[in-house]
Amino acid sequence: MNAIEVEELRKTFPGGVEAVAGLDLVVREGRIFGFLGPNGAGKSTTVRMLTTLLRPTSGRARIAGFDLWGQPHEIRRHIGVAFQEAGLDKLSTGRELLEVQAAMHHMRRADARERAAALLETVGLSDVGDRRVGTYSGGMQRRLDLASALIARPRILFLDEPTTGLDPASRRAIWDEVRRLNAEEGATVFLTTQYLEEADQLVHWVAIIDHGRIVDEGTPAALKGSIGSEVLRVAVPRRQVEAAVSALATLEGVRETRVEGPSLTVYMSNGPETVPQVLRLLERADVPLCSLSVSSPTLDEVFMRATGSRLEGAAAREAS
Amino acid sequence: MSSQTATITAARPGGGLLESARARAPLGARETRLSLRNPEVFIPNLILPVVLFFIFVGSLSGFAQAHGMSNYRGFFLPLSILFAVSWGSAGLNMAADIQSGYFDKLLATPVSRVGLLVGALSADLVRVTAQGLLTATVAMAVGTEIATGVLGAVVMVLVASVFGLAFSALGFSVALRTADPQATKSLFDFVLPLFLVTTSFAPMETLSGWFATAAKLNPVTYVFRGLRSLTLTGWDAGEIGIAVATAGGLAAGALALAFASLRARVR
Repeated sequence: MNAIEVEELRKTFPGGVEAVAGLDLVVREGRIFGFLGPNGAGKSTTVRMLTTLLRPTSGRARIAGFDLWGQPHEIRRHIGVAFQEAGLDKLSTGRELLEVQAAMHHMRRADARERAAALLETVGLSDVGDRRVGTYSGGMQRRLDLASALIARPRILFLDEPTTGLDPASRRAIWDEVRRLNAEEGATVFLTTQYLEEADQLVHWVAIIDHGRIVDEGTPAALKGSIGSEVLRVAVPRRQVEAAVSALATLEGVRETRVEGPSLTVYMSNGPETVPQVLRLLERADVPLCSLSVSSPTLDEVFMRATGSRLEGAAAREAS
Repeated sequence: MSSQTATITAARPGGGLLESARARAPLGARETRLSLRNPEVFIPNLILPVVLFFIFVGSLSGFAQAHGMSNYRGFFLPLSILFAVSWGSAGLNMAADIQSGYFDKLLATPVSRVGLLVGALSADLVRVTAQGLLTATVAMAVGTEIATGVLGAVVMVLVASVFGLAFSALGFSVALRTADPQATKSLFDFVLPLFLVTTSFAPMETLSGWFATAAKLNPVTYVFRGLRSLTLTGWDAGEIGIAVATAGGLAAGALALAFASLRARVR
């Protein structure tokens, strides 16, 4: 069964900005679905539409089997949402915040108390549950936000960049919790991220969005496999890049070659065994080699092939 | 845990009356809790009308007595009470919630969107009524004569609270339209001029020129008249009726505006 089905979903904001430009996607129940794209690609707009907070300009969607246009109230009964900025009430305590959220799902007071206590325990905030949220660290606030999204045991959990701005330890704590939820409680997770590592670590299926459109999708392994089993990176003097490209054109098993400055990225269907051949071809063309490496493809390369640019967040993280 | 799952499953689309009330009560409680946890906003709101009452009485008692007004405390009490129920922080929490994203978290739950606003308005009605009651109680404690007695004081606060609800609804309307606490707060800068261009400091027959015309057009004048009749002359069904109708009309208009703003925010 499909947890989410989207057809030709569009959102054009006043002024003509088309944030989502005809999105089609299917998320199967029980999957962790990764929605990968740079800032401004349309990820958050899509999440806001699918969680009934923003009216689409056109298109159709069914969430948990309910129609986005005709049954938004039913949809809200089955989803949990944690947005990019942990939207929390800083003057309430963590426990009060969860109890109010439970009441919003029409839980009885005793049930709300029990559920809030259990979730504080789950996300490791029991000892600070009676402290005001404003005193929590960024990681603690995200964990509380996640707990509030889980309050009514949602069938589908929407997490909009849940780890952006978090330190590595907090990020891993969130990942562990998302995995546990998916494995133990069977929740379908729709996760947007601009972190390739997050998509690689966590998701079963990834869709790459750029300029409001899905440009590629599949399992992370299949997407990486589609660009070759190995990636060869060769750096040569800048003036000899063209000569290097010509020399390597005869190499067997090349799927695609990209040039970025003095570097060539060659997507191969076979791997290390081609290295001696590369060395021979470059020597024959009289092109000196500055560096050479062979690695497995990453989602960054998948993203780059699909969009023609590197993922901003990944680039920023690699630089830091 | 199974009972909780059953509760959720049993929730009907749109929420039944019981479910709506179950969701509204914690929202109202939260609104009150937030006000109490914001003492720098809450305390001035509470004591300023009382302080103003003493300032009006202290500064104008000589003038009022010279013009033959014996019950000058009773003359100024309605102004202080109307100030108490209109001044404040209506919508500030909602504007902050929208700005922080917390409001979106509430909107993504099955609670009725109207219920979100009703919960906040109810809590604010409690707040303004409490502020009005405090002002009336302090005024009576210092010997203010009220022609209709304690019952009249209670009626005065209740009518004033309906008037205060209009300001609350306007506050929520600005909050929903702008999502800006500063803009919401600036709405209340208009309270003082609106109250001064009335018969707040002098009877209508002593006013003249543009001020008299403005005072006649200002609906607050008619609320004043009704409340003053309670403190100065006794039970006057006509005056009280006009005050109730004016306050009720203003509240109804402002509530319509607030619900329209809610629809615009969540569409």
